[in-house]
Amino acid sequence: MSLWNTEDRFGLVTRVLHWVMALGVIGMLGFGTYIANMTVNMSNFHLYAWHKSIGLTLLLLALVRIVWHLGSRVPKSLPAPKWQEALARVVHFGLFLLLLAVPLTGWIASAATGIDVVFWGVTLPSIAPASEAWEDAFFAAHGVLTKLLLAAIVLHIAGAVKRRDGTLRRMVRGQA
Amino acid sequence: MLTFLCLCAAVAVAPMGAMAEQIAYRLDAARSQVAYEVAFDKDIIRGQIPISSADVRIDFAGGPSSVRVTLNAAGATSSFPFAEQALKGPKVLATASYPQMTFVADGFRVGRTTAQVPGQVTIRGVTRPVTLSAQLYRQQGTEAGDLSKMSVHMSGAVSRADFGATGWADMVADAVRIEIVARLDRI
Repeated sequence: MSLWNTEDRFGLVTRVLHWVMALGVIGMLGFGTYIANMTVNMSNFHLYAWHKSIGLTLLLLALVRIVWHLGSRVPKSLPAPKWQEALARVVHFGLFLLLLAVPLTGWIASAATGIDVVFWGVTLPSIAPASEAWEDAFFAAHGVLTKLLLAAIVLHIAGAVKRRDGTLRRMVRGQA
Repeated sequence: MLTFLCLCAAVAVAPMGAMAEQIAYRLDAARSQVAYEVAFDKDIIRGQIPISSADVRIDFAGGPSSVRVTLNAAGATSSFPFAEQALKGPKVLATASYPQMTFVADGFRVGRTTAQVPGQVTIRGVTRPVTLSAQLYRQQGTEAGDLSKMSVHMSGAVSRADFGATGWADMVADAVRIEIVARLDRI
């Protein structure tokens, strides 16, 4: 079982990163929706801190995944109609972009509230001025981008399931 | 502390009828406090705001009295860290721009041990009228009729929205209850 990608298979590192992030991102979509709609009080206020810490962890994982993707061989795509290949490329690019943009906009919006952003107990330097205008704009962007991310994930899963050519199996077991 | 003050109410500030002039007091800041509380869904956020200075002049014979209190908003504390940051931040007290809060009341009259104190409170640079209820007590260890050391308990409520301190209005209630316990030494 190789850690590295080869010409026709995904290595363990790529697959672990993919599935850890998949679970984390889908879980966060549900978690974020829950805390956006909950009635806030002392007993659940800490969930915001969890949301921020998990979100920033996913941002770090996204950066690791992008660096790994750029620095390692990418297995050749399995044969598919050109429109499917083009759509897959667009969705993959959009996913990477959104995996950076969603947590970043959340981080900026949180910092703009004037309240510390704490990452697993460590207070991070503020990356935005305390400003209601920034807060409103970036929380709005966070919400819109989250919905786009959900749409991209649905397309990604639909594509993987529809192809039935071993693409999904290759990300699970390494090879088609 | 408040329990003691309540117990003292029965032996409060008699006999005062003979007095007919304002008595000036200095605040004992170390033994005084301004506490606030505000509803946060089913919970209560509590905290304190330090008193920077106070000028209190009381006429126990029923003549006009006055109070001027300045609070150090930038030194406000809260029952949990995030609430404290939220309180001082631009959406609530905006202490970077408005580090002080003031309460000024002139010409109110003190009854035997109580008073309604109509005054002007300034928060975030916005001044609005507010009426506080006040009770006056002798401090523990003083003799009846000794007005050299007094305790004043004032309470009331303000609307955050009246002062533009509307941050987190979806989570935190508008009405903020204020309790002031001021220990005063005659100058």
